[in-house]
Amino acid sequence: MSPENEKHEILERTRNYVDGNHLFSRREFLLISGVMVVAVSSLEARGAKETPLIIMDQAKGLVIADPTKCVGCRRCELACTEFNDGKASPTIARIKVRRNLNFGPKGLDTGQRGQGNWGNGLVIQDLCKQCPHPVPCANACPNDAIVVSPTTRARVVDPNKCTGSKMCLRACPWEMLSFDTDTNKATKCFLCDGNPKCVEACPSEALSYVAWRDLTDKAPPRVIPTAVVPPEKAQTCNDCHKK
Amino acid sequence: MAKHGGWAGKVLRVDLSTGRISTEDTIEKYKDFLGGTGIGYKVIWDEVPIGTKPFDPANKVVFGVGPLAGTGAPCNGRTAVTTLWPTCWPKPLVASGHMGGHFAAELKYAGFDAIIIEGRADRPVWLQVADGKVEIKDARRLWGQGIRRTTVEINQQMGPEASVAAIGQAGENLVPMSVVMNSYSHSAGGIGGVMGSKNLKAIGVRGTGSVRIAGNKGEWEKVVKLHLSLLGSVNQHVVPNSPQPWAEYYGVTRWVGSRGRKWGAAEPSIETGECDPRNLNRISYRTNNAVFFLGEKAWQYTVRGNGCTSCPIRCHTMLKVPAVSSKYGIPAVGQNTCAGLILGRDFFKAFPDGPMGQTAIEACMVGMHLADDLGIWENYGQMQRDFKELYYNGTIKNKVGENEFKSYSWDKYEKGDPSFLFELLTRIADKEGELATALGLGTGYHLERWGIPEQEWQKDQKVAYWKMGHPKHHSNEDAGQCGVIINTQYNRDAQCHSHVNFTRNGLPIEVQKRLAAEIWGSSDAVDALAAYTPMNISKAKMAKWSLLRKELHDSLSLCNWMGPWIASPLKERDYRGDDSIESLLYSLATGDKKSREELDKVAERIFLLHRALTIRYMETKEMRAQHDTVPDWVFTDPASKASFTQGTNRMDKEDIKLAMDMYYEEMGWDKKTGSPTAAAYRKLGLGNVADELAKRGLLP
Amino acid sequence: MEQQEQIYTAIANVIRKSSETGQLVQFEEIWTELTGQGLLTSEADDQRPHLQGVVREVVKRNEDLREIPGAHGIAYFYSTQTLSETYAVILARKKGDPLELIAQIVRENSSVYPRPVPLDLFRESPFDLTGEEILACLDKMGQQREYQDIVQTTTSIGNKFLFSSRHLNPDYASTLAEWLDVGQINNP
Repeated sequence: MSPENEKHEILERTRNYVDGNHLFSRREFLLISGVMVVAVSSLEARGAKETPLIIMDQAKGLVIADPTKCVGCRRCELACTEFNDGKASPTIARIKVRRNLNFGPKGLDTGQRGQGNWGNGLVIQDLCKQCPHPVPCANACPNDAIVVSPTTRARVVDPNKCTGSKMCLRACPWEMLSFDTDTNKATKCFLCDGNPKCVEACPSEALSYVAWRDLTDKAPPRVIPTAVVPPEKAQTCNDCHKK
Repeated sequence: MAKHGGWAGKVLRVDLSTGRISTEDTIEKYKDFLGGTGIGYKVIWDEVPIGTKPFDPANKVVFGVGPLAGTGAPCNGRTAVTTLWPTCWPKPLVASGHMGGHFAAELKYAGFDAIIIEGRADRPVWLQVADGKVEIKDARRLWGQGIRRTTVEINQQMGPEASVAAIGQAGENLVPMSVVMNSYSHSAGGIGGVMGSKNLKAIGVRGTGSVRIAGNKGEWEKVVKLHLSLLGSVNQHVVPNSPQPWAEYYGVTRWVGSRGRKWGAAEPSIETGECDPRNLNRISYRTNNAVFFLGEKAWQYTVRGNGCTSCPIRCHTMLKVPAVSSKYGIPAVGQNTCAGLILGRDFFKAFPDGPMGQTAIEACMVGMHLADDLGIWENYGQMQRDFKELYYNGTIKNKVGENEFKSYSWDKYEKGDPSFLFELLTRIADKEGELATALGLGTGYHLERWGIPEQEWQKDQKVAYWKMGHPKHHSNEDAGQCGVIINTQYNRDAQCHSHVNFTRNGLPIEVQKRLAAEIWGSSDAVDALAAYTPMNISKAKMAKWSLLRKELHDSLSLCNWMGPWIASPLKERDYRGDDSIESLLYSLATGDKKSREELDKVAERIFLLHRALTIRYMETKEMRAQHDTVPDWVFTDPASKASFTQGTNRMDKEDIKLAMDMYYEEMGWDKKTGSPTAAAYRKLGLGNVADELAKRGLLP
Repeated sequence: MEQQEQIYTAIANVIRKSSETGQLVQFEEIWTELTGQGLLTSEADDQRPHLQGVVREVVKRNEDLREIPGAHGIAYFYSTQTLSETYAVILARKKGDPLELIAQIVRENSSVYPRPVPLDLFRESPFDLTGEEILACLDKMGQQREYQDIVQTTTSIGNKFLFSSRHLNPDYASTLAEWLDVGQINNP
């Protein structure tokens, strides 16, 4: 079945379940559509009238962190980059500790009354939440380079498609995307195909790899995203959400 | 992407006199010296004239890290700082300090393997290194501030992730007993005044780059995991301090985590648990240096461990002691390790509630708060020992004027009231008064100033003084003759832990002897504690190995307080570690394949250069007689027990003569003078060094 | 013989599970457990000796399983997968006379490492004695001939250590105690 037809079928099935005026909650939609929804590249959706399907499968797993156990050694950042990229690079690391290590996520605004090594000692580990639909980084990418990993359904940057626009970096409310200036491509947490290296590396058991759950409304954002969603993708939203 | 594996590739050179900033190619110029102290010694050898004094503009201070810094190799967070040493008495000689924290890694990510600071700025400055962009900035607003405020203000300019190495008022005031400090609690002793003399208030580094692993990343991952699997607790103690279900042995070691012991001030508290060595996710729970030094009471005050980049050990302890806020007006949270942690306590002879009570802990908190901000160095506890001795034997009262003596609250001091430290430490930083000024000079110059012959200190075991203004540092009490040899070799306290990490690791003596035989050729290399036997060749081999590995670690950026890793906690390995860990890591990270023996040769080259520097600046080749000296107290026993009997650490003069003979022979040096021969230098590629020494008549 | 294999496996599991929780296990407990699982064809008491033989056979067949004699002639079993022999021995002795427990530990430490043992060690898990119990034991030991070799020494900061004079002379023992308690910390 062609991607367009598949998409139509899914949407039909979805619409048939519920009254046309019903506004879905994200949870309801996911329950209904189950795991059969696949992200479709806008390039593959031939025909200007066809809008891409931007709904992504939920990730299977997630890395979560306990800040009270973090001892600030940064072995997670080192394992993430050395064992995956062959170079030690906290700047590229897909788990981010360095930026909160000294003064906490609020930085110097709190002087010595904040978190981190200069405050009360708490080190907040920033982790990708493998967002459910709508996935900000994936939506922002003009080339649909952020796709779903076949093994873990983590949201992954496909380096063959990434052109280095950095829109994904601007889209993530938690600033979890990294940009590798050696390859000129974005990169993000891909859960290491189900055996996250950061979890394995942590010497204080502060990290765990668990079944995915939605943490997007539980962690305060670091920034207000300034990315622009490409118009054809924005149009797609109306497929489900237009009254 | 970095061109090389391991190394960043560039050495930064900053001339504060002219403002000139330049870079050098690490590989072209310094590869044979690796990094860290290696680069430091090379720069001092090539560029600093004889007769230069530590606070002269002609002195240089080299902040060096090695190819492993910034990688995921365990325990690579230390920066070596090499210079002509202000407290080295009677003549300043080359020495290095080390600071942990995150500075080393940040420097590598900024693209540098070392920073050479030369000259003197005409007004207070600080150095900003933001990736490749280097600027000398105005520090007039920072001057006069403590290390803490300086750091916070520089972070405001460079961002919260920058690593700042700063001096406090002590360094500004050219107090020789001063430090440079980064990452809140990580200091390099002795350096503060040198930076102060150059008007250099701080170095701020921000690096967004990377360190490349030259070798196959899968292979690298394997070696890193091998290394992790061999780790014990801090100081590589491989036996827990109470019986654990998994453990064959237990002892009085620094492996203190166990079921029921918690990081009590964590919110909520965290159980340290059984710490099975096969669980690499619980390495951080094994160590709590606050508990080891301050007693069980420290568990309730422990927030967590802390320490350097990449190290899972966490030898710094972050303490939260609410009482000190109201009692002394200082923050409730403080952190440090080892001598830095107990700095405050060590000033006092006694506390009303004993050495492991609440007051002692409060004294430590006050000490850290003051010393780590003012930037005061204590010379491995020597300042405190001098202070106690001179107070209680009446010397201070005699030497300082009556008015000054009365201005101190001696009743508080004698009662063990920690608030006394506010009077003492602030004055030391400001050189206020005779007592403070004298203490700040370092022991050698202090004794000289007060007309006390060095001999007085050298016959008193209690004061723990060794020579040239510095104390013993793990000598005969830890490793008999091996320890003595090690302590003769440097121009400050030896700072070598290769030997003591092994002898204190908690394994039974028979197991230690078995491992010793594998590494140094015979089980006779080690003796049971306080049951030393006469000198033998294996002890000389152990001393050589200890020294060479210390230089290797200080040049690679590996922590000599943790390595080498010749023992492990694993029964399945018969408690063997791996003596080639350094070479495995080095070869994979840099792509420069070197075996254990080959890398030890590089270490020997670096150590030999230190020897040559010492000879050149002392302007004598009579090292045996004039430099490699042993204080008299080493040959005494408080109960007059004879050497080589059970229950004494007393060494024998003839036996130590033999020990030095054997050591010089192991090193390939001339026995009579204790100096390396021309052949010894040439064998390690130091022909130019030999030539220069020959010209000066400094070869045996 | 499937039934027999099932029983062998069950016995090994009982022992290993017990070791995982830090406990030794004895025949009676294995018997009870197997009964509970309905694995015994006959629960008559006269089957006990037979079962004892079976348990020993299981231990012989499994590299990690060990038998260790405890007090009152009771045999205990454990798995070296999770318990070291050292720890198992302590657990076995713990079930018997505390004087014997203390004495053996002190003698072993005095000969193996060698070193004296801090009194406080016996408050640690798995000894779990209270301060009063320890002092009471030392009192009793002082009056019994077979424990005359167990000697106390006190360090300069007032902590007590025990050593066995069979293996350490008093002078050496007190030097070592002082080093462990005070010296190590004064040489940081």
